[in-house]
Amino acid sequence: MLSECFIASTVASGKTPASASLRDVGICVHEFQPTLNLRSTFKKSSTAANCLAVSPSHVFAAQSEKAIVHVYSREKGNQEATVPFPERIRSLAVAGGKNGDVVVLGTEGGRLILWETCTGRQIATTASHLRPVTSLVVDPTSNFILSGSSDASIHVWSLLDLLSFTKPPSGRDRQAPNSPIRTFSNHRAAITSIAVGHSAGRYNIAVSIAEDSTAIAWDYRTGRLLRTFLLSANATCLTLDPVDRAFYVGYADGSIQSVDFYKSQSVQHPLHDPSLHSTPVQPPAEDRWAPPSPDSGAAHTLTLSYDGMTLLSGHQNGKVLSWNVGRKKYASTVADYTHPITNLLMLPPNGLFHPSLDLTRMSHTIVKPRYDHTLSEASQSVGTVPADYTFSTHLLPTASNPSSTTKPNPFTEAFTHAYFPESMLEEGLAELAAFDQGTANANGSSSSSMTHGITDEEVFAKDAQIAQLEGALTTLKKKASINETARQTTTDEVTKLRADLANLQDYIHELHDKQEQAQREKILRQARKAERETRRREAWFAAEKKGKKGDVVLKKLDAEDTVMTSDSDDQSSDE
Amino acid sequence: MAYMAMSLHAVNHRLTNIPVKQLPPLASSLAASLSNCGELLSTPQSQKSKSESDNAVQVHKLMTRLTSLLQDRTVEGRWTAVVLVKALVEAGQWEILRGSEPFVRGLMGILAKPDPVATKKMSIITLTRIFHLTYQYPTLVREITTPSLPGFITAALNLISIKPSSEPVRKLKQNAPLVDVVLNAFAELIARHPTTFRPFTGQIHSVLQAIIGSTEPTYPEPILEIAQQLFVSLHNCAPKNTSGEEWKNACRMTISSIHATSSYVLRAVVEQWESVDPSLRQLSLPQNYSQEVGNGPDALGLGSWQGLPAGVNRLVVLLRMLSKFLKTATASSVVVPLGSILDLSARLNMVTYPSDGDIQANPQIGRAEREHLLTELPRIHVASLRLLVDLVKAFDDAILPVAQTILEQALWVFRAEKFSREVRAAVYDLVRVLLIHMGPCMTKQGVSSLTAVLRSCCHDLLPPSNNQTAAAEKPDPKSKSKSSQTTVNADSFLNPGLKPGRQLSSSPSFTDLKRAASELLVATLSHAPTELITPALRAEIDRTIIMTSDKNAMLASVLNPFTNMQGRGVSTSIMPFVARSYPAEMEVEALIRPRMPVLINGPGANGYSATDDDDEEAEEKTEAMLAPEPSTEASGFLKPSSTPSLHQDMMDVEMTPATSSPPLNKRSYAQEVEAQNPAHFVTTEGAQSKKVRVEPLETTKTPAQPSLGAASPATFTGTAAISVPSSSITATAAPQPVAPMTTSQPRAVAAAAQTTGDDDDDDDESDDEMPILNIDPDTDDEEEDE
Repeated sequence: MLSECFIASTVASGKTPASASLRDVGICVHEFQPTLNLRSTFKKSSTAANCLAVSPSHVFAAQSEKAIVHVYSREKGNQEATVPFPERIRSLAVAGGKNGDVVVLGTEGGRLILWETCTGRQIATTASHLRPVTSLVVDPTSNFILSGSSDASIHVWSLLDLLSFTKPPSGRDRQAPNSPIRTFSNHRAAITSIAVGHSAGRYNIAVSIAEDSTAIAWDYRTGRLLRTFLLSANATCLTLDPVDRAFYVGYADGSIQSVDFYKSQSVQHPLHDPSLHSTPVQPPAEDRWAPPSPDSGAAHTLTLSYDGMTLLSGHQNGKVLSWNVGRKKYASTVADYTHPITNLLMLPPNGLFHPSLDLTRMSHTIVKPRYDHTLSEASQSVGTVPADYTFSTHLLPTASNPSSTTKPNPFTEAFTHAYFPESMLEEGLAELAAFDQGTANANGSSSSSMTHGITDEEVFAKDAQIAQLEGALTTLKKKASINETARQTTTDEVTKLRADLANLQDYIHELHDKQEQAQREKILRQARKAERETRRREAWFAAEKKGKKGDVVLKKLDAEDTVMTSDSDDQSSDE
Repeated sequence: MAYMAMSLHAVNHRLTNIPVKQLPPLASSLAASLSNCGELLSTPQSQKSKSESDNAVQVHKLMTRLTSLLQDRTVEGRWTAVVLVKALVEAGQWEILRGSEPFVRGLMGILAKPDPVATKKMSIITLTRIFHLTYQYPTLVREITTPSLPGFITAALNLISIKPSSEPVRKLKQNAPLVDVVLNAFAELIARHPTTFRPFTGQIHSVLQAIIGSTEPTYPEPILEIAQQLFVSLHNCAPKNTSGEEWKNACRMTISSIHATSSYVLRAVVEQWESVDPSLRQLSLPQNYSQEVGNGPDALGLGSWQGLPAGVNRLVVLLRMLSKFLKTATASSVVVPLGSILDLSARLNMVTYPSDGDIQANPQIGRAEREHLLTELPRIHVASLRLLVDLVKAFDDAILPVAQTILEQALWVFRAEKFSREVRAAVYDLVRVLLIHMGPCMTKQGVSSLTAVLRSCCHDLLPPSNNQTAAAEKPDPKSKSKSSQTTVNADSFLNPGLKPGRQLSSSPSFTDLKRAASELLVATLSHAPTELITPALRAEIDRTIIMTSDKNAMLASVLNPFTNMQGRGVSTSIMPFVARSYPAEMEVEALIRPRMPVLINGPGANGYSATDDDDEEAEEKTEAMLAPEPSTEASGFLKPSSTPSLHQDMMDVEMTPATSSPPLNKRSYAQEVEAQNPAHFVTTEGAQSKKVRVEPLETTKTPAQPSLGAASPATFTGTAAISVPSSSITATAAPQPVAPMTTSQPRAVAAAAQTTGDDDDDDDESDDEMPILNIDPDTDDEEEDE
């Protein structure tokens, strides 16, 4: 259920509370909405203003006039630890975002002490303030600390610089380590309270009030003054609208004043209009809301509800008054704790569905500061994180699955579905169909991927199947060998044919040669024949001349020729 | 209700009358109608009226039918039953859950039957869901979950593994398709029922070891992931109050296992790293360099591996496992060894790819192995960077003390291995999450160290353009030799216009890299101090943002404009590009035409009197501001109507006078204080007389209601002079029209004054309801009139 609570702390006084339930009580958790009632109390605490801080798991209360911080566990509702410090603590704040793992303490001597509650590491800064640190705030990015002191100055510190093991490469070497990065010194008297705007961006503002009756809005990222407001008296406490539209101050006479930034119609943001920076502004006295009775005493602390419409103020007489912001007047008395109320903190409402605000981890117990340790920066080598730097926390299950950034897990998808996602059903249907087929032909080969139980029938079925497969394998092997031989023969044939072809070619060459030879011989023979003819003619003529019978000589020559040319085949064709 | 009863009846009818074989195709629609009957199924069965008892009978019938279907002979019947049981349980919640014991038995029976994988998978999911839903009801846990959970665990383990003997160790089955589902179911249940799981931790542990340590067939990513998560979750089962110790031991063992593995994997190079942990400094194991790299069973009991690829795989798996330690919910408070984790990541990130070949090589290892290692380095670094991302996410703002250390490690890796796309994406992611936490505090040196990262980020985001390379070549045309000309793509000369479009469609899109790069730009602009970014880099970033038209980055750039440190020149803004690109987006509208402070105005033109203003004016103005008292009576706790009252806007003024006057009388102390102020009386008078005036105003519905925002000065005078009985004309106060209206207003008021004949009224009305008007001339005029 949606509910909103505030937490109030008191400083011990001589009076005794009327109700027994409030005896000895120093810190009260009070339900504000929907019904007013006291939720829980923490005992034995007496805190001055600006000395109470709340983390999701713990309440830290610096004890007034002591060098002690009481730590109360919000889960268990008891006091978990009493942590001593070397100096008196004058102000306290929690840094570290939504988990609030770093406690920042402002000391009497003007230095800050940072305590990492999950590791026990503790860091002290230089004593940059000349007087006690009376107010401390941490900006919404948890990167800057603003500390106000009664020496009228406000220092801005970089949490990164203070906490880092490795000192960032900085041009600030001329400054001592652990010193502020900026100082705002426009106030003329002790700082009473500081409030910081709700923006995480670069143009966030801080508002500070001091005992010189001024409230100054300024830019803590640059140290630039934005607006000076001349108040009608010394304001004692301060709170800022959730949208940074206005701030509210409380006075020593118990009255409240609202100071609206947006009264002018300047086109520029009124705080960032340079023409107005140097002009102090006096908020109209009518914006001052009178308390219901003059005996309520000074307003020590202010806080605003989540919607910013109700302002609560804690007063000297122990009363918590609520004021209607819209109607600009006192509404009702919310609670009465007898002792002067020094701190009022509105807690974030429970029951809002807001995943980004959900804690991913929780520290159930704090680790007390360790002094005698390598963690104190002097003894360790520069820039390294010591091996025994451990962080104690409880990692909580997150509503949003951490792996959701990658791809949606089919299991979680099915798990949170109203029945089963369509894809899974389709897969199932397909598998059923396949299974059906698998069972229909019992020795079908497709069922192997479906079944995974180890039943006997199945083993048998598998065996049968294996045998079958083996049979198939052997036949395949046979076929393969046949194929192989066939291939062998064909290649043999091919080679033989190739050889034949070569032989034939050779034969053709041979024939060609023979033909040529024959041609040549023929020519030779013709030549010879012609020669012989001429010889016969010559011989015939010679015989005729001698008077002998020419024909006889011719016959004799013919006989010789036949002997000579009888072996040649073309003799007959020639004749 | 009637519809639900009918559809329930229809479901029953179909379930009983349709043959079981034909049910599966209908299962989806049946389940859908069942899940729509949630209201009926979850109402307690009181059986008062007839219809209710009829409904109860129908529900009973359905449950009986499903129970019998779960034991049906056919697989189709069982499959349908599983689907419908899940739908029924989801819809019916407690009313169904209390009678779900037979379902649980039936579903467990299916796990032992030779059903298709899908049926078993769905049975496991349904069973897990039933156990999960019963968790919030202790009686149901006692009756249903606790008795059946051990049986379920055994059955599920049997599906994925074989228990060889009586010893509490299991052997993982080869090729078990249900590993994924079973591990998911265990991971879901183990944190809720640690004592029931305790006897099985040994068996589950051995199965997980086999999955995580498997090198030969490596398991797919989702299975590995869920196995690692379950491994981490096993600490839930530790006996009372030792779970934190158990977690710490497992985490330490993982770290030392990673150290041991990396000693072998990285043996080819000489490491520069020196541990901050003295116990790890002596960790130089004698190695046999002649053998192939490999390692036996390690601290976690994972199997041995051989060869560099297996070693790198193991290292990556172990690093992921360490991430899982930071991502998985723990049973109680645990001590995270932050120092050791950072020591480990420093060791891995210090061995980087040599930029100029000057890596310190181990002379005993061959070149082949060293080169192999160097090519595998980006993969190791991606895993270690992802580990650091998870570390930052787990610790969010508490990371501040070590943020600078982590950033430096990221930059080591980036400098050496920015050629790898995966390394770039991982570095972008890491720098982004770091900037969110430490950005505002960064110094000039810190920001300038990011310059290289941001430049390559811009480069990755810009579409690949060939014009760019052409432009790069242009400055030295002389040096272009003939040989280089031959390599130039001829197409780029022929048709330069067509080229980019074709290229864009074909080039692979690295969505992960692009996403990481654009997110980093947004984070840089919105978290880092923009005045420390050099003008050149800022110009490059802005150019990239405009080219990619990334809305978030554009808004981040506009909201964090470049501020000129020297004061020279005009600060530029890319606002016009946003207005052109996304004219209809809400963020752009809110940016350009802000509603809250500027458009809604109080009655005064300039609220505060500067101190040098004279008293009379101040009085008049404060009167104007005091008069309207916006009502917040109606606005309850966190009701949406609660915002406007800080500024006296019109609507409130019209409604409130009736309610605001009684409180005025009650002002006891307040009145005392303010009694001295004469202006106060004017106010009360006004408020009381206003009561009279408001009624006719509301009934007659004058045309000039406050919503008439667009009324121009000209129409103003017209309407006022003719008909409007009062000067209740308003306009939304755009700052610009103020000047012309001041001239026209007096006449309007005069006319109104004549028609109503009540000066006081008009005085008040005009003050209340004409917010944009400058009061000074107005009141002057009034005085003249009187």
